[in-house]
Amino acid sequence: MFLSFITDLFQQDFMLRALTAGVMLGILAPLLGSIVVVRRLSFIADTLGHFSLVGISVSLFLSSLGFSYFFEKPLYLGIAFSVIGGLLIEFFRRSYTNYKEISMVIVISLGAALSAIFFALASKTGSLYQYLFGSILTVTNYYIYLILVTLGIVSLLFIFFGKQIVAVSFDETSAKFLGINVSIFQLIFMIMLSVVVSVLLEAAGVLLISSMMIIPVAAGMRIGWSFRSTTIISIVFSELSVLVGLWLAYSLTIPSGAAIVSINIIILLVVALTKKIINARRISKIDKNQIK
Amino acid sequence: MQIYINNLSFAYGIKSIINNLSITLNQGDYLVVKGKNGTGKTTFIKCLLGVNEVKPGTIFFDKTDITNFNSWTKFGYVSQSFDNFNYEFPITVSELLSVSSTKQTTASDRLKLLDKMKIFDIQNQNINSLSGGQLQRVFIVRAMLNKPKVLILDEPTASIDKQNKEFFYQTVEDLNKEGITIILITHSDEIEHLNYTHILTMFDDYTNSFDIRNKGGNE
Ligand SMILES: Nc1ncnc2c1ncn2[C@@H]1O[C@H](COP(=O)(O)OP(=O)(O)OP(=O)(O)O)[C@@H](O)[C@H]1O
Ligand SMILES: [Mg+2]
Repeated sequence: MFLSFITDLFQQDFMLRALTAGVMLGILAPLLGSIVVVRRLSFIADTLGHFSLVGISVSLFLSSLGFSYFFEKPLYLGIAFSVIGGLLIEFFRRSYTNYKEISMVIVISLGAALSAIFFALASKTGSLYQYLFGSILTVTNYYIYLILVTLGIVSLLFIFFGKQIVAVSFDETSAKFLGINVSIFQLIFMIMLSVVVSVLLEAAGVLLISSMMIIPVAAGMRIGWSFRSTTIISIVFSELSVLVGLWLAYSLTIPSGAAIVSINIIILLVVALTKKIINARRISKIDKNQIK
Repeated sequence: MQIYINNLSFAYGIKSIINNLSITLNQGDYLVVKGKNGTGKTTFIKCLLGVNEVKPGTIFFDKTDITNFNSWTKFGYVSQSFDNFNYEFPITVSELLSVSSTKQTTASDRLKLLDKMKIFDIQNQNINSLSGGQLQRVFIVRAMLNKPKVLILDEPTASIDKQNKEFFYQTVEDLNKEGITIILITHSDEIEHLNYTHILTMFDDYTNSFDIRNKGGNE
């Protein structure tokens, strides 16, 4: 089963595309995910995903009015709406400074409602299922380029402003004294995140985006000993789940997003359990030494 | 940098905290702010740092109105509570200090400060595994890191033990001698040994009164 997966991987174009997309998303998702977790915004990917879905439903609606362009490339409006969602979150956040979650609940509800309305108004809804759960096995070349460009831009931002991104994320108040313009940072970060979420939407679906971003990081946090190691471990876990998940999705013909996320969860459980066992051993060792 | 405060008033909603406060601090001055809990010490600092918005024309840094001021790197600040800091995610002391450094600050500057504040040994420890006092010293190092012209410390010694406190005040005094302006919020029982130039006492009454003196005792 595994062998035929490997041969198909390199003989079938769609498999190679899935792998390329998966590997790139496997870096992007936890990289931004770690910053999102530091900033205690774990819920944000879901929120932006719902707004991205509004963009897609509006695309379908427009194409049923005759603008067929939008039917082929619904992701553009998806990205645009995701950015609008991000700006709305920032807007509401200013009114509920200490309750960031409230702003997200408002925006996610609005996103869900608007998507439902536009999907209902559109005559052909295409594969609504795909936008809910995603499918990495059906991605096109155009999508691969889109991820590549996104990965390029995000990497450049991290290479040139990585220090500032980390500093603001841990401590917004003090960032000012490092000469960082916090509002501009928040704006750029929100736009970057919105784009990444929209790009993830195609592969993971609106319901599984935040799992791809957050769960590898949750596992990495358990064993990382520094910011750098935690982020690297998260990316390794994420890649592992993409590879194994793809294989499972292909061999068992199950949805790819679901397979990837399930592997992510298994990794998280294994990490948590292993850590528990190691800690228990350490404690019993200390106890024995004390008895001696 | 000269700090010129001219008839500063501040209120949270209708609750007035500061009323017509005026003071001028020149580069190298050492201001101690004291007063009971809730008298507005932290509020005053937050006005000075632009966290609390104040009316134009009330605070000037080197003749620049605070509303137009943007050289905030000239300030080092240790806040009273570290609630704003996101602890749970792993980050080591040296990583935090490294991302908090501007281009001019080198790794050896960081090591020197860690050594000075006696936390050299914990530099590879995770922030979330530190004790309160260690954490406070890390934040003090962070505030001094980029060679600020003005160092603002809001009860920086609250969780530091007696021995390290004396040593900390000595460090502050040394920095002051090097020409750095110090604004220190502290409780009255600690100020006798301090070599400050100005003292601002905040009172908690309906007039939001305060008292500014120079060290000699006269206004
Ligand atoms: N964000 C806020 N909104 C409304 N009122 C506030 C706010 N922050 C502080 N206050 C009130 O302003 C008054 C002054 O608070 P402040 O924190 O400046 O006191 P403080 O002198 O620093 O006290 P402490 O010694 O406890 O640190 C208090 O009565 C406080 O309840
Ligand atoms: Mg205070």
